[in-house]
Amino acid sequence: MRWCLALFLCCFLAAVNALSSSGSRLLVVLDESTDKSLYSTLWSDLEGRGYDVSFKSPKSDKLSLFQHGERAYDHLLILPPKSKGLGPNLTPKNILDFLSKDGNIVLALSGKASTSSAISSLLLEIDIHLSNDRSAVVVDHFNYDTVSAAEKHDVLLLQRPGQLRSDVKAFFDGEGILALPRVAPQTLSSDSALVVPILQAPATAYAYNPKEEMPAAEDIEATGSQLNVVSAMQARNSARFTVLGSVEALEDKWFSASVKAPGGKTTPTVNREFAKQLTAWTFKETGVLKVGKIEHHLATDGEVAAEDLNPKIYRIKNETVFSIEISEYAYDKWVPFEVPGEDELQLEFTMLSPFHRLALEPTSRTETSTVYSTQFVTPDQHGIFSFRINYKRPFLTNIEEKHEVTVRHFAHDEYPRSWAISGGWVWIAGLWSVIGGFLAFVIVWLYSAPAADKVKKTQ
Amino acid sequence: MHLWQATLPFCLLASAALPVAAASAWGFADATVAVQPKGAGINGGFKEQFTSSKPLSKPVAFAGSDTLRVILTAQEGSSAKRPHQAFLLLKDTQSGLDVSYPFMVKENGKSRVELTQKELPVQFLSLAEPLDARVVIGSFGSSEAYDSSVFKLSVERDPNVPLPTVETARFGKQPEIHHIFKDSPSNPPIIITLAFVAAVGATLPVLAGLWLFLGANLSHLPTALKSAPLPHIIFLGSLFAFEGVFFLYYTSWNLFQLLPAAAVVGVVAFVSGSRALGEVQGRRLAGLR
Repeated sequence: MRWCLALFLCCFLAAVNALSSSGSRLLVVLDESTDKSLYSTLWSDLEGRGYDVSFKSPKSDKLSLFQHGERAYDHLLILPPKSKGLGPNLTPKNILDFLSKDGNIVLALSGKASTSSAISSLLLEIDIHLSNDRSAVVVDHFNYDTVSAAEKHDVLLLQRPGQLRSDVKAFFDGEGILALPRVAPQTLSSDSALVVPILQAPATAYAYNPKEEMPAAEDIEATGSQLNVVSAMQARNSARFTVLGSVEALEDKWFSASVKAPGGKTTPTVNREFAKQLTAWTFKETGVLKVGKIEHHLATDGEVAAEDLNPKIYRIKNETVFSIEISEYAYDKWVPFEVPGEDELQLEFTMLSPFHRLALEPTSRTETSTVYSTQFVTPDQHGIFSFRINYKRPFLTNIEEKHEVTVRHFAHDEYPRSWAISGGWVWIAGLWSVIGGFLAFVIVWLYSAPAADKVKKTQ
Repeated sequence: MHLWQATLPFCLLASAALPVAAASAWGFADATVAVQPKGAGINGGFKEQFTSSKPLSKPVAFAGSDTLRVILTAQEGSSAKRPHQAFLLLKDTQSGLDVSYPFMVKENGKSRVELTQKELPVQFLSLAEPLDARVVIGSFGSSEAYDSSVFKLSVERDPNVPLPTVETARFGKQPEIHHIFKDSPSNPPIIITLAFVAAVGATLPVLAGLWLFLGANLSHLPTALKSAPLPHIIFLGSLFAFEGVFFLYYTSWNLFQLLPAAAVVGVVAFVSGSRALGEVQGRRLAGLR
């Protein structure tokens, strides 16, 4: 009875806190408590989505990301500190440790003041670069808010980003205009597959240090779409790190502001929706994949009996069916995962290197998952093979599945019989003619009378 | 700058009061684009003027060792002035990739930018379509910024010089792999097989014919059957049975079915064979063979 109650309680708690797929403890690192009210809509939105938000100052002695060697929080939101760095409890190493223990982080920057070198070195660790003097601001003389930045042009007005590539799912798209005041731009290292831009500056944008009167041409390091307003890094353990260039964009003021681009109409901003999309993605409310059942068996016409599922051993040249069930988390529930447009979910059948790499096609859907499957012939090479799914895509958590099976050779009684091979007929005929000849010889030897008389007679 | 900032509210006021005489716009004048091959003199190579309203109709060819030079005078309204932003923006319309090259701007608005192919991103070196070259001029305040295509730049490369490649790892689908199976074993044409089978089969009649020619006969069969009928029949039967057992082993039996059967047949053949061969010895001793 008590056990039942506990289970019920567990289910109830799970239902209440089920908003993020990876926990609800959110720590906001915030410089002074006076700042807090500027972002009240953000906090109430996060609490409304089931987060257990706690606030700490980076200077606080009690601030620790870990307790007894385990994460004390599931998610971290760092607002730019006014002081030089993030203090002794939030060293780049601590933050990276938090990341490698599956904690998710949103780091907001601000172009108002120069970014601390501690944050810059933290970002360097994950291949995101800030400008050399760490105090650059993005301006664009074509896409700025004429209401609030008629002179300085440092409030960028941008569309919400669409698909990054044609084979990548868009998690931040939608209608409306974003207002991003005083953006600290980031550039991304081109040789890391883990960092992705979420929102890029327009082609005509550039970054400069507002403390300098006029930028010399050689001071301009990056321009246009190489400047990132929002960028993200998803680590190999699928922990997420998002850098938002403009912390002011999260303020209540900009959640409900009306902006006007040069020559445009006055429109309300969609910062609130974008903040929701951004925090939801980083805190694993979206773009989380889960593997359900994985089945493989010999291809048959009818139903497959339970004992024939997932055999340990296959023979070479067996017709084999592989299927995998994948769900995607969307804000508060698991839904069937659809592979985006030009992308493919691929199955590899490997022994050291892949022998087959095939696209898995959706074959059936349940309420919470899609079943992807494919059929193929096992290669004519025996050995220890594995079915591998290695699905790593920007913005989606990684799927790495490896299921080992043995592929054996033909057994001695599985080859075609010799009479079925027309080339062997000559040898079979030879064998039986020898047997026939032997029997005839035995009969002749046993019963033949000597022929010598006849020979003599003829002589 | 300070003066400019101080006059700004007034300007705004004025522009609000006179919407027709709205804020002035940035632009440029006296613009030329020149492509100078390596070693050519100051006036060597291609040189053409362009205006802010009309782009050049023909693409500008830009080869491996050339220097591209764009010179213009930035203007706000009709007075030459130094803008905060003066870029030559190269854009690939296919991929959307854009790169800006800032002009060196003097106080009087005279601007100049030079670039060679080395400064272009690798992705621009192997394009089928010419690049879109735009001039972007803008500055703070209410003046409208200028951004327009001024000419097309077709990047030409010496086909003998290999393109520098960039290896960038990106997560995405990989090319499909289908295992290439070894060819299944093949048989010679059936007609050849049948010809050889016929040749092998023909050996038996040839052998029989040869024996008959040499005088083989079965004349002792009645004698043998008369003196020891059972041993002879059983001995011959067991020999045939042996071959039958082997035939069954070939078609369906396994070794454990073969061995007991072969043992039984073997004992029978041994026992009956010694009797039958005794009879044959008797005939030999009697001088019949």
